[in-house]
Amino acid sequence: MPLEATMMIIDNSEYMRNGDYPTTRFDAQSDAVNAVFQAKIDSNPENTVGIMTMAGKAPEVLVTHSKEFGQILQAVHDTSGKISGSVDITTAIAVAQLALKHRENKNLRQRIVVFTGSPLEGAGADEKSLVKLAKKLKKNNVALDVVAFGDAIEDSGEVVLRAFVDNTNSGDNSHLLTVPPGPRLISDAIMSSPILAADIRGGIPDELMGGDVASGSGGAGASNDFEFGVDPSLDPELAMALRMSMQEAQAREQVGKPEEEKVPADAGGEEDAMLKQAISMSKDEDVEMGAAGGSGDVPMDEDEDEEAAIARAIAMSMESPPEDGKDKK
Amino acid sequence: MTSTSTNEPQSLLSMLDLSQTNCLNESPENNIKNIVGGKKKNTTGGHLLSDADEQLLITLAFTQAIRVRSIVIGTKEDHIAQAPSKIKLAINNMSMDFDSFEDVQEIELSKDDVNGVKEIPLRYVRFQRVTSLHILVDANQDGEDETRIDVLDVIGIPVETTKDLAGLKNQEHDHDH
Repeated sequence: MPLEATMMIIDNSEYMRNGDYPTTRFDAQSDAVNAVFQAKIDSNPENTVGIMTMAGKAPEVLVTHSKEFGQILQAVHDTSGKISGSVDITTAIAVAQLALKHRENKNLRQRIVVFTGSPLEGAGADEKSLVKLAKKLKKNNVALDVVAFGDAIEDSGEVVLRAFVDNTNSGDNSHLLTVPPGPRLISDAIMSSPILAADIRGGIPDELMGGDVASGSGGAGASNDFEFGVDPSLDPELAMALRMSMQEAQAREQVGKPEEEKVPADAGGEEDAMLKQAISMSKDEDVEMGAAGGSGDVPMDEDEDEEAAIARAIAMSMESPPEDGKDKK
Repeated sequence: MTSTSTNEPQSLLSMLDLSQTNCLNESPENNIKNIVGGKKKNTTGGHLLSDADEQLLITLAFTQAIRVRSIVIGTKEDHIAQAPSKIKLAINNMSMDFDSFEDVQEIELSKDDVNGVKEIPLRYVRFQRVTSLHILVDANQDGEDETRIDVLDVIGIPVETTKDLAGLKNQEHDHDH
């Protein structure tokens, strides 16, 4: 539970109208802002969070050092009607740094969280000046988190931002999170990222984490990490049942296609010999056998004994594997 | 606290407020706590090292007002090239940073000044009623990338407050209420 004053810099440029994140980039960002605010405030009662925009006419501080959720909501809501221009990331960070410097409680460490969905353009957004800015932040003991999505991670954006964060990083206090477009919410991605790890897990010793943290560390994000959406450690029997049913289904599928190949291992005695014969035949005459296996035995029955035996072998091979599958488990 | 010790200059590190004491541009491992964390002159192997460049901004906060007569800064003989060569001092401004530092006194240090024993006298009249002392290390001896400090001490006398009732009889000449 770090003692921190956080300044969130949100992107309100035209790029935020894009709909590649549900529902729009700006809405997805608002969600994420709320999530970060809650996590920061909950982690320590002394923590403060501010918010500012970095596009429009110029970067603008909306709320300085607040603990009131309402103020953040209002600021985001007001901004949602003022989406314009393009971002000025260096100026915004300089302003944020100034806002942080004049925090009331000097015990709070300083942190800037930048949300950006715009390409890095304009003066001061090249790698060289960003690295210079990063060094300055590091020197002044300001931690930096960058949440990049949309246009910010296209082209070389991610590389530049990575360099930016790495140069600020001191004692693993700064992180870059890139969220590719898709159904995943930005807020979920943040919840399960290192950005909020210290805030969410803070103060809880490792041995007490167990199941509580799985739910605490961000509902949907956590449950997605498990194979069937169920934590195996919470309900081993259910997980086992799910896995078994999936394996059976897979076994059935495999039987449906290259039947013959699956069989030899299990069938015994004379059947085995017949099956082997069937297999060798099938390998020689792939197409014909495929047709025979699929379309049925009726035409085959009228042929010689050998052919009938093969057809029988195929029929048997189709029956036996599922049972065998169950035995194994 | 006896009446003699209040008039005799002494090490004031015992009055440090460690929760407010910090250093900008310190490296995460070799930080300010290594040299003043014990609230006395450092004798351990720990040292303070700068991080991004050669500058350091040390903020020493005290639990009560003090008068500072001199300071001691030292770097081990082996690392004398990394010892501070130019320092700036300021008082009582907790929101100092590298760009807005307004110094009360600026001092150039020779290699002999930073042996960890020699006291560097300050302009005493400007360091009355100090609650926080800020030391900006601007450059080091041989222009190294990192500045290193092994020993830091503050010498002076505490300003008597009503907290120290034992010293009240010596208070006639003080005007601090």
